[in-house]
Amino acid sequence: MFPILEQGLIMGIMALGVFISFRVLNMPDLTVDGTFALGGAVTVSAMTIGLPVYISLAAACFISCLAGMATALIHRKLRINVLLAGILVMTMIYSVNLRIMDGPNLPVPKDQVINQMTSFEEESGEDPLADLFAEAGIADVKSADIPAVERRSAGNIFNGAQDGKDLVIICAFCAALVVLLFIFLKTEMGIALRGFGSNPDAIQAFGITKTSMTVFGLGIANTLVGLGGGLFSLYGGFADVSMGQGMIVTGLAIVMVGELFLGKRKFLFGLIAPLIGGIAYQCILAVAMRYGHVIGFKSSDMKLLTALFIISVISLSLLSSGKKRGKFKSNLKSMLKAGGR
Amino acid sequence: MIKLENIRYSYNSGESNEKTVLKDVNLDVEKGDFITIVGSNGAGKSTLLKLITGEIYPENGNYMLEGKKVNNSGMHKLSRKIGRVFQNPNGGVFNDLCIRENLIISSKKGMRSFRFGKYNDFGLELLGELNLGLENRLDIMAGELSGGQKQGLAMVMAVSSSPSLLLLDEHTASLDPVSAARVMELTKKINEKYGITIMMITHNTEFAANYGNRLLKITDGTLFELKDRKKMFVS
Repeated sequence: MFPILEQGLIMGIMALGVFISFRVLNMPDLTVDGTFALGGAVTVSAMTIGLPVYISLAAACFISCLAGMATALIHRKLRINVLLAGILVMTMIYSVNLRIMDGPNLPVPKDQVINQMTSFEEESGEDPLADLFAEAGIADVKSADIPAVERRSAGNIFNGAQDGKDLVIICAFCAALVVLLFIFLKTEMGIALRGFGSNPDAIQAFGITKTSMTVFGLGIANTLVGLGGGLFSLYGGFADVSMGQGMIVTGLAIVMVGELFLGKRKFLFGLIAPLIGGIAYQCILAVAMRYGHVIGFKSSDMKLLTALFIISVISLSLLSSGKKRGKFKSNLKSMLKAGGR
Repeated sequence: MIKLENIRYSYNSGESNEKTVLKDVNLDVEKGDFITIVGSNGAGKSTLLKLITGEIYPENGNYMLEGKKVNNSGMHKLSRKIGRVFQNPNGGVFNDLCIRENLIISSKKGMRSFRFGKYNDFGLELLGELNLGLENRLDIMAGELSGGQKQGLAMVMAVSSSPSLLLLDEHTASLDPVSAARVMELTKKINEKYGITIMMITHNTEFAANYGNRLLKITDGTLFELKDRKKMFVS
């Protein structure tokens, strides 16, 4: 049960970012696919060069934030559709990730060597000939005073022991993020950001530019996604260049599952919904993997299942909002129209 | 307060389908004026308001606001001095926020801080003057309000940061007669009690005949003042 909760909550942190872009800003931001892997790549690479884990995670958040801001600037300044801007940045991030990791994947370092090993003597701190001298009866040979190589733990915050300690750490992250976001969204800036998502044209009448709101909003959204990616890499023990593939669909599915449980109205519930949704999504995933073979389901069908799941959730919410069949039809029509625009 | 000199504006300028909407428009608005603008559809009324808010820039001429030339100032800069209300009740409010948060956004102009927001007392006072009881229901979502209530809230939001000028673009057009009359009374009060200059576009002849101290008409992109308003509406 621990892995499901742990992975679910980590995916929930990523989905919090998707919630900010999709629900708060009302913007479909595809940068998420790139920044999830970017978060992982930066975290693991920073740890590999010896940075402490929390600094590495902070670096991942910062770089992911810049990626989100880049999407916003491309969208606003070059007047490119936000979907295309997201795809462009996501594509760029793929190459950036390969450069950061110097390859397609990178394991989280187990430990770090503080002073560089040069020989067996330095590694062991013993004289290699001491045994020989002892056998020859020359006991008073003084071994050289060679310092042993110092090693320290790389400081991965997760031990992978499934003893609940990892879950406590992840819960602490989730609680801190929800509290911080809740406070932020109640500030003048947070309210303006929500107002921008609700009515982007009207916000200009109050002296706030659309560009500043887009840059700030997508920056925050991708910071959360990057943090999710970093934690995911630490939890899994590696970063991979393709680990963000389809993450936007997964994030959206998680947000929708959460909203099925908690509803859409109050935004505090909106902040908790992705976390609940993340756990529910992992449960569905686990059941599908374990018992899916009965109906011929393979693990490679997961993306198909996720996309179909989103379609079913949208259909269900349309059905529940318009109980009569006619209303469902008109809802579906207006939705398709909105999609066409 | 506002001076427009020989203002000209065309849509699709330089292209084969260029359409000149404003031709040599001249206008002098004094502080405290309540100007009503009438004209047929496509005459250039809304284009004139867009130009004043900075949404579009004039091709020729001078646009002066409080003595400063602001021809190419952006909308967000001019919005510090200009409030506006749209025809669509949903255009001026934030449906996903509660009334309190709508008032917080409107209580000041420009970029926001990371402090907890507070609405100003003036906004609450104006909301009370609407007589809709909204001042006691600050936690309900703006999306749950009726069209008339939303338009009233939009008016309050446009005025609560004390702009020098309030632009109203057919702001009663989508309201029922009772709501429209209520919103018009608030409009009058905003001008008379708080001294805010108002420019109002309307197709409603009754409102055009009864509200405002000056009546302007746009025909084919040309703006002229109607001195004898009674004569015009009788005819």
